[in-house]
Amino acid sequence: MDSFALFVMILKINNERPRMRIIQNLKAIPKVQKFRYGMILLASMSLLGPLAFLPQLVGSDDLCGQLCMRRFYLYFPGMTWEDFFVHVNAATIGVMAFALILITTLFFGRIWCGYLCPVGGLAELSSRMLNDRWKIEFRSLPQVQIRYGYFGFYLVAMPALGVSACSLCNFITIPRLIEAMSGEYRGMIYLVSSVGLVNLALLLLLGVFASKGRAYCQFLCPIGAADSIVNRIGARLPFAHRIRVAKERCTGCNICARDCMCGAIKMVDKIAVVDQMSCMSCHECVDVCDWNALAWTAPPKHKHNSPKRIKKNTEIFPLPDWQAIHITPLKEEAGRALPQISGVSIFNSMVFLTVISVIIVGSFL
Amino acid sequence: MLRSFLLLFLILLNYTVEAGPRYSDPDGCLSCHAYEGLNFIDENGVFRSATIDASHYASSLHGSVPCKDCHRKVIDYPHKVENTEVDCSASCHIEEPSEGVKYSHDVIHEEMDKSVHADGWYKGLTGGNRLQELEEEQDPSCRRCHSNTAYIADAQLEKFKEAFAHAETECGNCHQGKAWMGQFGGHILRRFIGRRWNNIENNQLCIQCHGDIEAMREVQQEDEKTLEKHPPSERFVQSSQSYAKTLHGRLIAADSEFGASCIDCHAPDGWKHEIRAYTDEKSASHPDNLGESCGQSNCHGYTKKPGNEGFTMTDMHSLSLLGLHSFAKPLTDKDLWQSNWFRSMWPLMAAGIVFIVGSLIWWIFYRTDKKILAILGGSRFERVMIGRKPKKSKAKATARKPRVEKKVVPTPSVEPVGPATITKEASEPEAEKTLKKPDEPEA
Repeated sequence: MDSFALFVMILKINNERPRMRIIQNLKAIPKVQKFRYGMILLASMSLLGPLAFLPQLVGSDDLCGQLCMRRFYLYFPGMTWEDFFVHVNAATIGVMAFALILITTLFFGRIWCGYLCPVGGLAELSSRMLNDRWKIEFRSLPQVQIRYGYFGFYLVAMPALGVSACSLCNFITIPRLIEAMSGEYRGMIYLVSSVGLVNLALLLLLGVFASKGRAYCQFLCPIGAADSIVNRIGARLPFAHRIRVAKERCTGCNICARDCMCGAIKMVDKIAVVDQMSCMSCHECVDVCDWNALAWTAPPKHKHNSPKRIKKNTEIFPLPDWQAIHITPLKEEAGRALPQISGVSIFNSMVFLTVISVIIVGSFL
Repeated sequence: MLRSFLLLFLILLNYTVEAGPRYSDPDGCLSCHAYEGLNFIDENGVFRSATIDASHYASSLHGSVPCKDCHRKVIDYPHKVENTEVDCSASCHIEEPSEGVKYSHDVIHEEMDKSVHADGWYKGLTGGNRLQELEEEQDPSCRRCHSNTAYIADAQLEKFKEAFAHAETECGNCHQGKAWMGQFGGHILRRFIGRRWNNIENNQLCIQCHGDIEAMREVQQEDEKTLEKHPPSERFVQSSQSYAKTLHGRLIAADSEFGASCIDCHAPDGWKHEIRAYTDEKSASHPDNLGESCGQSNCHGYTKKPGNEGFTMTDMHSLSLLGLHSFAKPLTDKDLWQSNWFRSMWPLMAAGIVFIVGSLIWWIFYRTDKKILAILGGSRFERVMIGRKPKKSKAKATARKPRVEKKVVPTPSVEPVGPATITKEASEPEAEKTLKKPDEPEA
């Protein structure tokens, strides 16, 4: 085929001028999301790369050593509290940062993960530059089960098998990748090594080429796993800001579920439901919703389902019940059978039981 | 007038006498060696200095030991260089007051004799053979690591002064007597305050030699059984470089007390001189003993218990993780462009270019406001997360179905399966699962 004819054909298909489209697309990004992308870039500039401004304050040029947030809670067989405190002391700053992350999560949701984390954030940003058509959709997988199955494996089985937790760590890979891009020798050599190549493949598959780029955070990140437990536990507390749904306002248009980068929003009975085990409070669903059915707020002060008031013969509807947790009542539906045993549930329980038994047996040895 | 002048003179004289500290020199060596500029040029044409700064010596570790206690063969004057030989394993003349036993470095020498550095000199050390040793000997002698450093390290001086100021009241209640306080009070306080060296300095000692890669390449290691000598492995040559990249090394470099220094793992017990090869069964770094040596106090205590074999087998001098092997020899073109890992980068890069260019073109020319589904797992997402019934998402799937069927048509056995699944799907929700199967290979 003549290349000129192809070019003409492409021009014919394209109705508008391409440059205008790019500007339009950029303008279409909601304000909060622009702020979020900026925060991620800022955090990654100060935490990674040739500058590594924040790590250098404590004399490190990457996120390892004293800054490591991922290693101190590993359980080695027969470990005592003394050993644990040795691990804690070896990574003092990492432990403090980890505690800070958990505390902010309790109050404001997973701010670190969504707004600051350079490791998940850079993968997300680079994924957002690619077209959604060419990606792998991980969001529909049972992410809570996979995440905690891997988390248990990471905490208990990996130390017992002697696999270094550092060999599957994005907190090494991303700094090294940035180093390699800035021409540093260490980074290049890491990426060409076998460990580096495996990690790079993970980063590409679960980050850049994953839909919305947060699959690594969903499945493999131990910080995220611990963080989301806190997120879920704190969801009912009166001061906790979370992404909440006003069920009566939701029209079931499912735009939020499509745009949610963590796959935390699921349409249950045509109403958006936020899974606090995986929500990152990135605020995108709030920006996208035309009906103000989602908001990042603390729980309302008024009683749940409080009765309507009638004032001067006009019905005043209750304020929205901002619900963070949605549990489908099993009792109400008499016809529906209780959850049946499936292959997935057997697998999950097996993983859970092995982890528990290894911990119990290990503590006796 | 004269009287008062004389008195003033006496006071001044007294002052000048008191000002200069006096150093004990029973052998009278300092009467010559204290002179500045006592220099000579030796047989090899090297400029040497024989001057001994009396104050410097007196404040050193051996400051209270008279010269002839070590330089025993020096009897008459002038003496020859050969006569100044020192035997570090010989007993010293200092007696501990409580036991009355003469202290000796022989214990350390005996321990050193078992180690990999056993061939190092410990006697016959003179000023003359210093250069000869450096050039000829592979194993370190006592003096290569231990110089006669200051008795109290500079870093600890303040702390020591503070403690010494009230030692007479604190310790002196029980330990009375001038000899005790003068001679041993300081010694015990010094030990009490803590290690003379921190871990960084400890490691620096090992790295002085082991950090020199070119020198380490020339080391000849001895096989224990056959006693044959062989050149060292690359792992041995690069050991200090690879150590610096591990968590142990990094923590110490950051001045954390939780890093493990070289001796902490290689000679944890005794006088810290028994560094054996990891192939030696008595070695602390032998695979069988790793549980004990990793599980020392304040380290990985759990390794003494079973189930941690995998943890202890972590290679702390691994060349592989950071590709340290290539750090010593700069990468050649062959290493870089022709390595298998590098070759495997090409398909990744190709895929990346296809993705980036493809999606750029898509973004500029084809992007519409319609919902875009991911190629892999997009339909599942629609079904599970959005809750859309499979019928609608099948609109696209049905358009593609004929392609599959065309391939299937020539084989008669598969044909009945197709229609059978479609009929089930309409009636029961469970049949969805069977229906998916033809979809998945497409995705």
